[in-house]
Amino acid sequence: MTRAVVALVIATLTLAQPTPALAYLKFGFRIADRTIDVKWPNGAVPYFVNDRDIPGVSANAFRAAVARAAATWEAVPGTTLHFEFQGATSAPPGGLDGRNTLGFLDRPDLDRVLGSTSLLVDSATGTLVEADIFFNTRFQWSAGDPGTAGLVDLESVVLHELGHLVGLGHSAIGETEQTASGGRRVLGSGAVMFPIALTSGSVADRVLQRDDVAGVLDLYGTDDGRRETGGIKGRVTLGGRGVFGAHVVAFNLATGSLVGGFTLGEDGGFVLAGLEPGPHVIRVEPLDDADVESFLSGPVEVDFRVGYASTLVVAPRGGTSGDVVVTVEPK
Amino acid sequence: MRGGLLAAALGVALSAAPAAAQGSAPALRAHRVSVSGGLTWTGGYDVGDAAAVLRGNGVGATPPSFTLLQADSRIGPAAGGDVRIGFALSPSLTIESGFGYSRPGLTTRVSADPEAAPITLDPERLSQFLVEAGIVWQVPGPVVAGRLRPFVSAGGGYLRQLYSERTLVETGRVFHAGGGMRYWLRGGDGVRRSLGLRGELRVLVRSGGVEFADRARAAPVAAVHLFAEL
Repeated sequence: MTRAVVALVIATLTLAQPTPALAYLKFGFRIADRTIDVKWPNGAVPYFVNDRDIPGVSANAFRAAVARAAATWEAVPGTTLHFEFQGATSAPPGGLDGRNTLGFLDRPDLDRVLGSTSLLVDSATGTLVEADIFFNTRFQWSAGDPGTAGLVDLESVVLHELGHLVGLGHSAIGETEQTASGGRRVLGSGAVMFPIALTSGSVADRVLQRDDVAGVLDLYGTDDGRRETGGIKGRVTLGGRGVFGAHVVAFNLATGSLVGGFTLGEDGGFVLAGLEPGPHVIRVEPLDDADVESFLSGPVEVDFRVGYASTLVVAPRGGTSGDVVVTVEPK
Repeated sequence: MRGGLLAAALGVALSAAPAAAQGSAPALRAHRVSVSGGLTWTGGYDVGDAAAVLRGNGVGATPPSFTLLQADSRIGPAAGGDVRIGFALSPSLTIESGFGYSRPGLTTRVSADPEAAPITLDPERLSQFLVEAGIVWQVPGPVVAGRLRPFVSAGGGYLRQLYSERTLVETGRVFHAGGGMRYWLRGGDGVRRSLGLRGELRVLVRSGGVEFADRARAAPVAAVHLFAEL
């Protein structure tokens, strides 16, 4: 079996990291001329939890927070995803030991990284074979309910990192503002998978948003689950050519839900799956809030203004819309 | 097609003989079936406002929200056609059912986007079907002289709306109440078959269908029909 370690592209950050904001995104793995989804076979995710206590969070509290976050992902209806707790371990996360391990690590050098997920992928099939998550003891954590001002909510960050562990990338559904220190502060977030954490003490990210649900449905949806959702596909063009790296957001008028995606091909093509059926407003914006090059390879186009599809676009139940062309204008 | 129907109706009107003797109110004959068909106009109505809201950044589980955009939607006025078939229980009381079709446009205005100017999206053209049943009661007495007779009506039915690609269906219920006038071009005397024009104003209340705020909506409906007794 040929194996390759996929780059560690995932990190949940505190308030001041200029990290690129991407839409709900699946990790893909290139095999020959195809890109396939990186995911766990049959949706089964076994995991171990490190038994280390840290100030403010006992090993038992940590294990309980992980269990709650896993249950939150499992509760998404219409998916095959399920986590299987294998037990406590003294092994720290990060080793290539064939186990999926979650635990704390002392990483004072990573002064803006709350947690990180590493993935080991079978390069022949694209399936995940191992994943580890560490949480940085450089920060002060809270596993309590409700959140405590000044302490990072552990369950929220676990929920985010488990999203990476099952194959999801970052979401770009959120708004930030530049801070005086050069970082970014979140003004609003529409996804647990948004790359920049809410302020310490917030527990709002314990609840999955529709963008997160759409992502996991896309990866692990059952046939029934897929029949109950729809998709929208199309292209974003600027001056007659495709736009690479544009953030496309679908806003469902009936439910108020927001699901994002982005254009990956040279033709500006995009596909949004896992949508609640109904009419959507399609909004396209540049990824100009952060350092996109650190996440997307290729020439990301950011020199255009926010634009809208000229009509509502319907996501049909169990199907995909016709091609939608959104034309944006230069700044 | 619509113009032809109207022209035919007007032609009949101009050539018609007096329907009933002076002083006797024209009416449908009891236990007879009548059919009618014509044009309708339905007024526009709002179908709800929706805000794209992000969770704000603050301590606790429910910090103040952040609005990404606001979308206000409205179904515009539309002309259409419908046919009805009725059965006269008595000269003044008819039960009838009908089928209507129209193509209203669903228009959405997007605003409150901090990064873009407000925009009104092009209308999404719906295919709308109505299947209704109700009663029509001809008001007794010579309220209006000659061949013109007033009536009131009420009923309910089923609403079916399809988006333009016909990939998604929304259904709901409708209720209506209103009234109008029948004008006899022929018959109405209890002997000959009736033929005439019918004008009606209704208030149509919809529950369900294309609706983004889970509310019942009311809209005016005007209809002009040619009716005939079989």
